[in-house]
Amino acid sequence: MIVIGLGSPFLSDDSVGPRVVRELVGRELAGVRLVESHAGGLLLLEELAGSQRAVIVDALLDERKKPGEVVMANIDTASHNAACSHDCSLPEALAIGRAMGISLPADENIRLVGIVAKDVSTFSESLTPNVAAAIDKACDIVCAYLSSNSASAEAV
Amino acid sequence: MSQRITIDPITRLEGHGKIEIFLNDAGEVSSAYFQVPELRGFESFCVGRHAEEMPNITNRICGVCPEAHHMAAIKAVDAAYGVECLPAARRIRELIYMAFYVTDHTTHFYCLGGPDFIVGPEAPASERNILGVIRKVGLDIGQQVINTRKRNHELIKQLGGRGVHLCGAVPGGWAVAVSKEQQAEFRHWATENVEFARFSLKAFEDIVLKNPEYLELVLSDLYYHETHSMGTVDPFKAPNFYDGQIRVVDTLGNEIALYNANDYLDHVAERVEPWSYLKFPYLKKIGWKGFVDGQESGIYHATPLSRLNVSDRMATPGAQAEFERLYETFGARGKAANGRNLPIHHRLATHWARLIELLYAAEHMCELLDHPEICDPNVRRVVQARAGVGIGSVEAPRGTLTHHYETDERGILTRVNMIVGTTNNNAPMSLSIMKAAKGLIHGGKVSDGILNKVEMAFRLYDPCCSCATHALGKAPLELLLRREGSGALLDRVVRD
Repeated sequence: MIVIGLGSPFLSDDSVGPRVVRELVGRELAGVRLVESHAGGLLLLEELAGSQRAVIVDALLDERKKPGEVVMANIDTASHNAACSHDCSLPEALAIGRAMGISLPADENIRLVGIVAKDVSTFSESLTPNVAAAIDKACDIVCAYLSSNSASAEAV
Repeated sequence: MSQRITIDPITRLEGHGKIEIFLNDAGEVSSAYFQVPELRGFESFCVGRHAEEMPNITNRICGVCPEAHHMAAIKAVDAAYGVECLPAARRIRELIYMAFYVTDHTTHFYCLGGPDFIVGPEAPASERNILGVIRKVGLDIGQQVINTRKRNHELIKQLGGRGVHLCGAVPGGWAVAVSKEQQAEFRHWATENVEFARFSLKAFEDIVLKNPEYLELVLSDLYYHETHSMGTVDPFKAPNFYDGQIRVVDTLGNEIALYNANDYLDHVAERVEPWSYLKFPYLKKIGWKGFVDGQESGIYHATPLSRLNVSDRMATPGAQAEFERLYETFGARGKAANGRNLPIHHRLATHWARLIELLYAAEHMCELLDHPEICDPNVRRVVQARAGVGIGSVEAPRGTLTHHYETDERGILTRVNMIVGTTNNNAPMSLSIMKAAKGLIHGGKVSDGILNKVEMAFRLYDPCCSCATHALGKAPLELLLRREGSGALLDRVVRD
């Protein structure tokens, strides 16, 4: 299993993904690889190779939601940018990987955890207060998901 | 009644950006601009930190060109501290940088720029991607793209400490040396890179150059702009991505500037427009003449094509042969009044130039790894912080990248400035979009294929707008027609 925290550590709330991953280090999750990354598409494909289940934690911009809200979604709702658009989208990358015979998690075994961000364009190592307060909840959601189907999906 | 068309966000481009197209009463294009989101507070974030932190901060500004920022930053720190990089460390820096170029140019050609040609500019957006390329060219090409990225990322990881956001740069040197075993393995990978680059050039020839329809598109007036060209060259006037002097040639191929990165402020100024937070760099000695191209305009471009336009030769044999073929094909070889090649102004030729650079980067990796001192363990030195000014510059794949730092006697940053690669091309990108839009949109009528041809006008510059924003949920390409003044929405077209 792998948990990837996406985002720049220096752009305010954009760093929430990596921060969740750092927090998860303290929870000592057996059989889970924790990765901080600031890229997507083909680079994510390279990270996902060999895992059977994956969680991607990322900052989410959504004006209809309040900063700090935590949203869980399936891969089919991932936008281009959630997957970093310089190369290709995450669904495209996964399709290529599968066509190449690379061992990858099935779509239903990839979950996206989005934390609604307020500011992702100011250089700062601080989170805005509501987003900072959401880290524990996001960690709980990741942990709950990882333990939920562990009997049916063999941990890798 | 004026209309305003907004294409937002741009598909297949790093970060969020948008194109704004303004239509006049007759539905004809009056102007068009390229917009990207603004990142705030970079200088205040950096001032007060140790200068040697900068390679590891700036390489996380975006997920696309971390290696370019890492190298420009450490070169600026070297300069501020007045220290020369050790020879073996310099070769390692350059080796990593070439491996980065191979991955970046590969990604652009097969995922971003290439699908427009390989799958076709009129194909639906959902088809114009690397999956479409694989369907057209075959599964093997996907495997090759994946493998090329993988082996070069592995090299960067082994020498840089991390695969993506490398951390190996130290003032005056590099953190680790190359072992004999690594040298042998990397050399094998470099050879594979050369083969892959040749394969890519062949694919470009077969798919684009031998297709009369695509060739016509490449040669069409729609994608033609005469602007000056900028690029970094070695002492023999061949392109060098890591170090050298910055050369500018005018639209006719005459050298109009050759300077060290330290002097960039004497040559480049930045125009600010009230309607955008973007800055538009231009050649200071010519001056800003507005959004116009031509010999009298101060607008220049900094791209793979401009780097070849400023060069007299390539530094490696395979790339040299391709360089000659490119200028021959465009009837530009040796045709300038001074005997140089005439600059190529057909902007879609940038894709070809990018593949020639890919071959050069791969061949140069071989040269660096064949050097007898590549395994020299002497890669670190003792460095003293000091009060100083350091300017570091490299050719990022998407343009000349300049970092400018000032430090106090403790090595603490007191001032920071940056001109990133994409910024150089803000003005020519706006020009290119405007020209394509004017040629393609008439009477207020737009279609998917037309919009893509407008996008092709800036995609060739490979702009990077920073991977700052992420959004779950659908982010379709949205087209908004608005009435100027009231901003009333006249029409809305959404493309998934």
